[in-house]
Amino acid sequence: MSKNTKGGRAAMRLWRGLTTVTAVLLAIALVGQVLVEGFRTDIDKFLGTQSSMIVTDESGDKQDLYTYKSDYSSTKELLDAIEDLGERMNEEGTVLLKNNGALPLTADETQKVSLLGFSSYYPVMGGDMGSSLNENHGTDADTVDFVQALTAKGYKINTTLQDLYKSLESVFTTEIESWGGTITYTRITAPSIGGVFSSKEPSQDAMTSANAGWKDTLNDYPVMIVTLARAAGENRSYMPGAAGVDPEQKLNQTDPLGLSDDERDLIQAAIDAKGANGKVIVVLNNSSAMEIDELKHNDGVDAILEIGLPGGYGFYGVADVLSGAANPSGHLADTYAVVNANSPAAQNYGNYAWTNGNPEVSMNSALVEAENIYIGYKYYETRYMDTVLGQGNASNAIGSADGVAWSYDNEVSYPFGFGLSYTTFTQTLDSLTVDLAAKTVTAQVTVTNTGDVAGKDVVELYVSTPYTDYDKQHGVEKAGVQLLDYAKTGELAPGASEQVTIVADVQNMASWDSTADNAIGTKGNYILDAGDYYFTIGNGAHEAANNVLAAQGKTASDGMTAEGVAANVKTWSLSALDDTTLAYTKTGVAVENHLADMDLNYWMGEGTVTYLSRSDWAGTWPKTYMDMTATAEMVDVLDNDNYTITANGNPGSVTFGAKNGVTLADLKGVSDIEDERWGMLMDQILLEDCMIRTGFGGTSTKAIESIMSPEVIQNDGPNGIYSYPLGQYANTDASSGDPCVVSPDDPNLAYHFGTMSNETVIAQTFSKEMAKEYGEICGNYSLWANLTIYWGCGTNLHRLPYNARNHEYYSEDAVLTAQQGTSFVQGGMKYGCLIAPKHLAFNDTEINRTGVAVFMTEQQARENELRGTQAIVEDGALALMTAFNRVGCLTANSHTGLMIDILREEWGYKGLISEDFIQSANYAVLKEAVLNGVTMTCNTGESTMAAVSEKWNYWTVDNVSKDETLLAALKQAMTWQNYALANSNALDGLSSNSRLVSVRTWYDNLLTGLQVGFAVLTVACAAMYVMSAKRKEN
Amino acid sequence: MDMKKQSVGFYTTACSAILAVVGLVAYLINCGTDYFSNLGVNPAVVACLVIAVVVQAVYLVVTQKGTPIWTDVLPVAASVLLVVATLLFVSVRINGIASIMTFEGNAKTMADLTSAIVGIIGCLAATVVSVAASFFDTTKA
Repeated sequence: MSKNTKGGRAAMRLWRGLTTVTAVLLAIALVGQVLVEGFRTDIDKFLGTQSSMIVTDESGDKQDLYTYKSDYSSTKELLDAIEDLGERMNEEGTVLLKNNGALPLTADETQKVSLLGFSSYYPVMGGDMGSSLNENHGTDADTVDFVQALTAKGYKINTTLQDLYKSLESVFTTEIESWGGTITYTRITAPSIGGVFSSKEPSQDAMTSANAGWKDTLNDYPVMIVTLARAAGENRSYMPGAAGVDPEQKLNQTDPLGLSDDERDLIQAAIDAKGANGKVIVVLNNSSAMEIDELKHNDGVDAILEIGLPGGYGFYGVADVLSGAANPSGHLADTYAVVNANSPAAQNYGNYAWTNGNPEVSMNSALVEAENIYIGYKYYETRYMDTVLGQGNASNAIGSADGVAWSYDNEVSYPFGFGLSYTTFTQTLDSLTVDLAAKTVTAQVTVTNTGDVAGKDVVELYVSTPYTDYDKQHGVEKAGVQLLDYAKTGELAPGASEQVTIVADVQNMASWDSTADNAIGTKGNYILDAGDYYFTIGNGAHEAANNVLAAQGKTASDGMTAEGVAANVKTWSLSALDDTTLAYTKTGVAVENHLADMDLNYWMGEGTVTYLSRSDWAGTWPKTYMDMTATAEMVDVLDNDNYTITANGNPGSVTFGAKNGVTLADLKGVSDIEDERWGMLMDQILLEDCMIRTGFGGTSTKAIESIMSPEVIQNDGPNGIYSYPLGQYANTDASSGDPCVVSPDDPNLAYHFGTMSNETVIAQTFSKEMAKEYGEICGNYSLWANLTIYWGCGTNLHRLPYNARNHEYYSEDAVLTAQQGTSFVQGGMKYGCLIAPKHLAFNDTEINRTGVAVFMTEQQARENELRGTQAIVEDGALALMTAFNRVGCLTANSHTGLMIDILREEWGYKGLISEDFIQSANYAVLKEAVLNGVTMTCNTGESTMAAVSEKWNYWTVDNVSKDETLLAALKQAMTWQNYALANSNALDGLSSNSRLVSVRTWYDNLLTGLQVGFAVLTVACAAMYVMSAKRKEN
Repeated sequence: MDMKKQSVGFYTTACSAILAVVGLVAYLINCGTDYFSNLGVNPAVVACLVIAVVVQAVYLVVTQKGTPIWTDVLPVAASVLLVVATLLFVSVRINGIASIMTFEGNAKTMADLTSAIVGIIGCLAATVVSVAASFFDTTKA
């Protein structure tokens, strides 16, 4: 081949190659355009762009279009308020568990602090994935860790120790396995699902190797604060007992929530070093109750503070509590057991796979909650009372720590509701009245500060209801004591008194009786048993139990742990069983059994599961239900395909696409859903709109032009509205009339609001006012950030400490959960923020959460988990999220008993409902979910029927439009969704003449430019190739 | 086939085809995993990959006896098909990947995710190598 020919071929190769490059880039740009349509929602959220917007032409005062007003005039004021609340939340939510007088520290002592334990320097401030801490820098509310907070508050800490721990960072890093490698955290983390806990506390040898003289420095800094942490996280779980601990470690750790030898050694080293002037204060940085009985009984430990996960500002509050600038008033939201794994609930916590599971339909495992109603203190205090009363075989060894006999002192370190103060209080139960007509229990309690420093106190009102022969015969269980309601005093000066009035709901002392007749002739009713009801107060459930026992004539000689105060007990008697007072809910709907299929015995026959009964603790102690095989009937339900779209009814009777001239803005603030204008508006909506929007509701509700419904952004929580920075959707249009308009150069626009103390801390405040304040702050933030929907109110109960997601939920107790949640949601609603309870319901484990079938009795369901959400809904919540798990065999989204009969009917819920982040089309059960009142799944996609039909192939206009039942459900779902939006701040700034306009984003323009550019280049390169070929030929 | 006669383009194109087959197999395996099985098999992904491999095979065979001009369109077409397949593969898996990396991560879903990642990497590598191959002839002059 000649040189010229070679050169010609080389040119051809070059241009062929370049043509390939440009053609590939052109293909990317063209396919990218198609893909952008499918992911536009997510892209816009990620980039902060908007592909559509609603334009309002208003000639009058535009400020009138804004219904809700912020309490703050600038983002600085807003962030200052968040910071202040975060600090106060941990002042009131920190629980002083033990104090021999070591706390508070003197001013001199604050200058001699040695922080021990790596978690002092690298604390757990939020969860992992869910409720993670957003660190903020350069804003008006920068977040702080423990050291920064102490420094800011004027403490002086031992810097030698600080340097030592810094040098040991690699020792206590935690690695989480992820695809393609590991994620490294420089703090403790909770185990991944199936993983085990590894203690990371450096050994004494490691510390001495790092600095041989570290112990000497303790002489100059003898106030030793030892932080022990256990982390939390969504999709994380601790496993009970030694099985949950890294077997490679030989640290004498019997439970992931118990202590390791390295932690014990550290505490002992502190005790050994403290001398005459030193102090050892243990700080617990956790949201799952730890096993700390050894610390309680260790005289060398002077004080124990439980601080929860304090978020970005809570350490300011902790610092104030340590110094006495704030007096602790927190009380435990969970029981701190000696051995967590000994509880009846712990007998069924794990991965119990079906023997005939089917991953294609997310049929993975079952969880039988055989403990019945007895979780948390309802177990420990009830069993305790039965040991004293000598009933129910309560002293049997089963479930005991020593394996000999069950004894309260051996089982519980600190009871639910317990907390100390730097002062002392007396409480007297002055009066108590039960008004069944009004369905209230009213208690008046006088609280007196008998100490010498000011402080707040918590009044906890408990009730002990009669456990009768009727109950035993009908399988009705009763907790020995249960929290009925609570209140917190204002700050009381020494010697000052305050009379607190609590008006509790009788509902909270009623029992669900699945066998009882009801008002409509079926079975299932709330009952109030005949007998004596004991009402009392106490610093925790155990003190209340002792008071009740004292009123029943028992003393320490009967086996009580301490004498009770009978004077603080009021009794009320019911002469006959009452099955009428609570036969109808607040909405006037008669109650009946709706969750019978949650009982595994319903499916597999009576006797399959024995639920725990206080009538015989030993004989009914839960066994572990594992290796189960679902019956054919169950499998038929577990496949999730439980509704067949058919031609039925008169589809033409369901109107779509009418021209009534109404817009959603015309119904702004219309709270009567029966208002005829709702019908007129919703007749305008197109069937396609309903089908697309129910299918693709993830991350935001998208605009619906036929009714002029705006896109409304959704946010995760609960530790703040953190999905997007403050500025991503903030209004910078000064001409809009928006009172919350921001300047584009506002330094706070980068602020991320994942900074609040976690829910367990909020529960520990026992302050509805604090919970409400948090709701109000969220409401204000919602106005400034234009973020309306907030999945921020975790209401699942702490069934066990092992659920590493407990930081997103309040408590083991339903009443505390419901009351804090109600206050929180109501606080947000004042500002039009839709704060949603989640996850309805029974999301009690993160193990196999997509598909786990949860079984329990209806009494347990209604009196525990559902009671934790019921009041929030009944008081008007307008947003809600369902659970990943199944309710019995059905997905939570498709359980008619739960979603329609209880939620929509009994509780009267009228708002929007999103599924959790379920991406499987089969498990998202779109058609079944819509029929059960779900208004949107959490999927996203192109706003076309083609896209939604591709995801759910049954979801076509032809198919659905013949099914009147489904058409009506679709329209109803969209009515509920838009009703919620109309009663939120999402419609602020909108008027009747608002219109939807499409917006070409910068990335649309970029793609178009790239398409044109690469097309030209491709043609040019191809042309050059042809020319090269011709030259070669010539 | 005289291997001594083969040039860089031959080896890179063959390599690309092998990577594409790996991507295809991994995709099909991934479609059968517990987590991704209910998404089904996207025919466009399969079609693009199969056609791309066929085109590359044809290209390798035909160019053994010379390089007629029309054959130069084949590496271009193969590369375009491969990149389209890659993009479609990613698009049908990205929600699942996001979900596993966040909400649903555990040992089982991570294992299911592996074949998706292998497949995507295979397709992407096949594309890159195919583009590179288009700058070279398959046989020595």
